[in-house]
Amino acid sequence: MPKKGTKKGKSADDEPKEQNKLPEHLEVQRTRVVCKADAPTEGFQYAGAFAAMGIDNSVSVDKFCKNFKVMVNRLTEDDMEFDMIGIDASIANAFRRILIAEVPTMAIEKVLMVDNTSVIADEVLSHRLGLIPLDADPRLFEYISENDVPNERNTIVYKLHVSCKRGSPRLTVKSGDLEWLPEGSQLPLASPAQSGDKQKTYTSFGQSQKDIFEKPLGVKFKDITIARLGPGQAIELEVHAVKGVGKVHAKWSPVATAWYRMLPEVVFREEIRDDAAEKLVKKCPVNVFDIEDLGNGEKRAVVARPRACTLCRECVMGPTGEQVELRRVRDHFIFTIESTGALPPEVLFTEAVRNLEEKCERVISELS
Amino acid sequence: MNAPDRYERFVVPEGTKKVSYAQDTKIMNAGSFTIEREDHTVGNILRMQLHRDPNVLFAGYKLPHPLQYKINVRVHTATQSAPTQAYTQAINDLDKELESLKEAFENEKTRYDEMPKQGY
Ligand code: SF4
Repeated sequence: MPKKGTKKGKSADDEPKEQNKLPEHLEVQRTRVVCKADAPTEGFQYAGAFAAMGIDNSVSVDKFCKNFKVMVNRLTEDDMEFDMIGIDASIANAFRRILIAEVPTMAIEKVLMVDNTSVIADEVLSHRLGLIPLDADPRLFEYISENDVPNERNTIVYKLHVSCKRGSPRLTVKSGDLEWLPEGSQLPLASPAQSGDKQKTYTSFGQSQKDIFEKPLGVKFKDITIARLGPGQAIELEVHAVKGVGKVHAKWSPVATAWYRMLPEVVFREEIRDDAAEKLVKKCPVNVFDIEDLGNGEKRAVVARPRACTLCRECVMGPTGEQVELRRVRDHFIFTIESTGALPPEVLFTEAVRNLEEKCERVISELS
Repeated sequence: MNAPDRYERFVVPEGTKKVSYAQDTKIMNAGSFTIEREDHTVGNILRMQLHRDPNVLFAGYKLPHPLQYKINVRVHTATQSAPTQAYTQAINDLDKELESLKEAFENEKTRYDEMPKQGY
């Protein structure tokens, strides 16, 4: 199928680049957001914005693929920072929204309380339990719906049985005290009809989860405080964890945070020298500026670390307001993902992309 | 109590279509799409992608109400195109872009993983 977008992109690209240049102030308007002391100024984004000057502002798939770039800056077990260059804010935002609300994880959903004599109320305790990150890969599980029987493919069962003896000091219950039950629930549902029958419980596991999953499905962090018990108090309960998405409840969100910011760009409209330069360097809380020695006692301010800029706008308020210009690059995003531990951050991002692709497919296949 | 059921946020109710299209009665080549159970995530990128199409004269979306889980996308195109065509094209393009984005990301990840091995 000949694509009009593709054709259009070609013809625009084939033309010599020089001819296609906007005057500088308009180019800044097209590719940057300028941050004044009071508010940022917006530019134009649609395809024909600069058509009168013979500039094609439309973006075809080809153009996109050619210009798109990623750079990983930091990647650890549970946190990652990378740059995405050449995308629109709406795509970056879609990824952020999907990471926070639509990538599934496992979280504790049901708490079967047998005994709770601690000072912390049942519902508060349940809420705390729900928020504990579990070390289980959600991709290996299925969603459970209301009428489904909990089985080894959609539920993880843990039990918590702690008590503080009389006369002993206060006891802190940590998330590490949750004990994984790979065989399923141990709480009887009803007494068996005949004495020979197998005892029915709240779950019906056909197989031990130990045989299905390679590693034990524990909690991610063993040192989260769940409750404190005084002498003579006890907690006994069983919890069922299921798969879900952050949209339904934040406990299923796979990220602590996922955020992006546009790359800051600090430029001098005119040179700043000597005392003014010293003052400017002092003013910036994150040390964006440095002093350059020009010899014979003269000094000049230079922008050394623009990436660190937080856009606090301290430098555009006050005396240097006219000389410094703060901008953000419109299509360069510094994206940070902090995982809660169920999946490593880079996997989370690929999951998010896949999720968005699926969404697109759903939105199109069902038209007609 | 009277809280809406959780599943209502992503299950398309029976009898309604995921996507429906309504032609505008007064303007040629204009119409609006109603997409059930979607939100700003899809609405905004769809709007962006439509804006990139030189044949699209107008494109906008709205989420009518936070408790109505659907979006309206309104499209007005030039005569050589049609809203449905622009819509299909936009999503197909988006799909391809995401595909290449994913690939670029994975390549970059392998490159990053290999960096220590090469003695950086
Ligand atoms: S905006 Fe703030 S952080 Fe950025 S360069 Fe100016 S003073 Fe420094």
